[in-house]
Amino acid sequence: MSVEMIAILASWGIATLRSATPLIFATLGETLVQRVGIINLGTEGEMLLGACVGFAVGVATGNPWLGLMAGALAGAVLSLLHAGLVLGAGANQIGSGLAVWMIALGATSYFGRALVGQQVTPLPSLGSDWSDGIPLVGTILSQMTMAAPMALAAVVFAAWWLNQTRPGLHWKAVGESALIAAENGIRPIRVRVTAIMVGGLLAGLGGAILSVDYTQTWAQEMTKGRGLVAVGLVIVARWKPALVLPVCLLFGLTEVATLRLQSAGFELSPHLLGTAPYLVVLLVLVGSHVVARRASAMPADLKAVFQ
Amino acid sequence: MSPRILGAASPFILTIFVFLFLAVALFIGLGQPPFQTLAVLVQFAVGDSYSLSQTMAKTTPILLCALAAAVPGRLGLISVGAEGQLHAGAIAGTALVLLAPVWPAPVLIPLMLIFAAIGGAIYGYIPGLLRARLDVNETIVTLLMNYVTVLLVAALVFGPWRDPASQGWPATMQFPPNAVLPALPGSRIHLGLLLGLVAALALHIYFNHSRWADKVRILAGNRKVGETFGLSFGFWVMVLMSVGGALAGLAGISEVSAIQGRLQQSISLGYGLTGFLVSWLSRHQPLIILPVSLCVGGLVAGSDALQMFAKVPAASAVILQGLLFAAALAVPGLLARWRKAQ
Repeated sequence: MSVEMIAILASWGIATLRSATPLIFATLGETLVQRVGIINLGTEGEMLLGACVGFAVGVATGNPWLGLMAGALAGAVLSLLHAGLVLGAGANQIGSGLAVWMIALGATSYFGRALVGQQVTPLPSLGSDWSDGIPLVGTILSQMTMAAPMALAAVVFAAWWLNQTRPGLHWKAVGESALIAAENGIRPIRVRVTAIMVGGLLAGLGGAILSVDYTQTWAQEMTKGRGLVAVGLVIVARWKPALVLPVCLLFGLTEVATLRLQSAGFELSPHLLGTAPYLVVLLVLVGSHVVARRASAMPADLKAVFQ
Repeated sequence: MSPRILGAASPFILTIFVFLFLAVALFIGLGQPPFQTLAVLVQFAVGDSYSLSQTMAKTTPILLCALAAAVPGRLGLISVGAEGQLHAGAIAGTALVLLAPVWPAPVLIPLMLIFAAIGGAIYGYIPGLLRARLDVNETIVTLLMNYVTVLLVAALVFGPWRDPASQGWPATMQFPPNAVLPALPGSRIHLGLLLGLVAALALHIYFNHSRWADKVRILAGNRKVGETFGLSFGFWVMVLMSVGGALAGLAGISEVSAIQGRLQQSISLGYGLTGFLVSWLSRHQPLIILPVSLCVGGLVAGSDALQMFAKVPAASAVILQGLLFAAALAVPGLLARWRKAQ
């Protein structure tokens, strides 16, 4: 393989990873939430609020890290509304998630108006004078920020935590049956509130990375369904944190491909190309149902939501 | 009022109070005088004949989209696809008008409506088919499919369907008069509202008094029981999803034909999601959907006017809808819990 070829592949790989990073956080969060038997369509709203608050704090403080933290926190706080409605008031989970989305949609387009056109300090690139000298590695590092490595670490950590630790086992037990879990001394409500908040935190962080690190701008409704894509991809990933990575990368690759086709002067409407990521997600969702029966991997308590 | 009726109505009344409380809190939070803003909102919704006409204009797509969610809702399906189906109907109906703009109105308008209904129905049928055959969750599929037709509309009006005479503005040509839905003179109350009313009444009769009603009810209550009676869940999923889609498709073409006058982006102010909210609040009952969509239509129209005259951004309408939804979700459960504790 020629050096040029490797460089092109590397550049596509980096772009894909960067595009997928916000989605990896959101999908990972939603995976954890669904593993305790809760579905949260509010992920879309939490991402959106995270993107808005994260960007605002990033602009105001000039510190992107503070922005990411604020975005994550905003997502977690908003997710408490879902927790309250679902666990406190026994509301329908689908309805509650949509309410959370609506509130975030309205609130971010209300308060986000002031952010349109603002400049945010991006996360520093990983490249340095030292690494710039190394061929390929230097280029790769200079195109990357800490966001993508953080996402990879989060996936590895979540997979390990869920499968190898005692609290992780408790979470899975609650997802299979809150009743039996409670009989065994686990407190399902506490586990579920925690999981919903962790999901909100990750969705908010994903949203903040989207606005502060990836697009570096704020636009109304800028998540464009990424949170809903996350909910769909959880099914494709069979509720397994480790599989979150490949399915999100597929979405990222589609997005990068459409962007590159456009800039290559490909004669096709950008709007038409813009449908590709959704169509790909729909296709893999349908494909995953063709290949395997959904019932086998879905947490048992989650099935009750759909009956 | 008998205590029983009061007991049945109390979650509803309490929901309204909780919502008003939240709305007041929101306006205080936004730095607006709360009661004055609410009063102006009501005035802009129903204050004079112009406001009423605006409210009716907003009610029409909300009503049709609510019915679009209610029809599959009767089977226990959660379809949030009215937004996408609305755009699919708008595309299909507009296609006919662009193909045959000179046909006389008595031919063109019914055909345009049929095209739109078919476009919406196909867009509802796809998630129905996936649910029936492969058990793919219809909520997620419909939510994702929404983004596709919205982008398709953009692709069309920026591309092949753009009217060269519109000077760069991405829109099709203006609909000729023979393709514009008839409206009450001097108002924005058009045929679409009548279609919505008829559909609501027809669905009420269908779901309560027809011989198919029991089939849907049995299947919705317990799929296994229904299937032992020889009823096909999959068949009804596809039928009801398609019918729902057709209704949302009608909403799409009426917005294009009667309100905007041409196909362009932003033909919908989130009517799909709003309609879903209305259907949910009304427990998928067509006769309850009628007054509720009128109220929410008033809320949307009032907030729209509020934006123009009082500089309160229209986004506050979306927040208000979200709060209404949250209140309606929270109150019944909390009330039941409170009663249990007593």
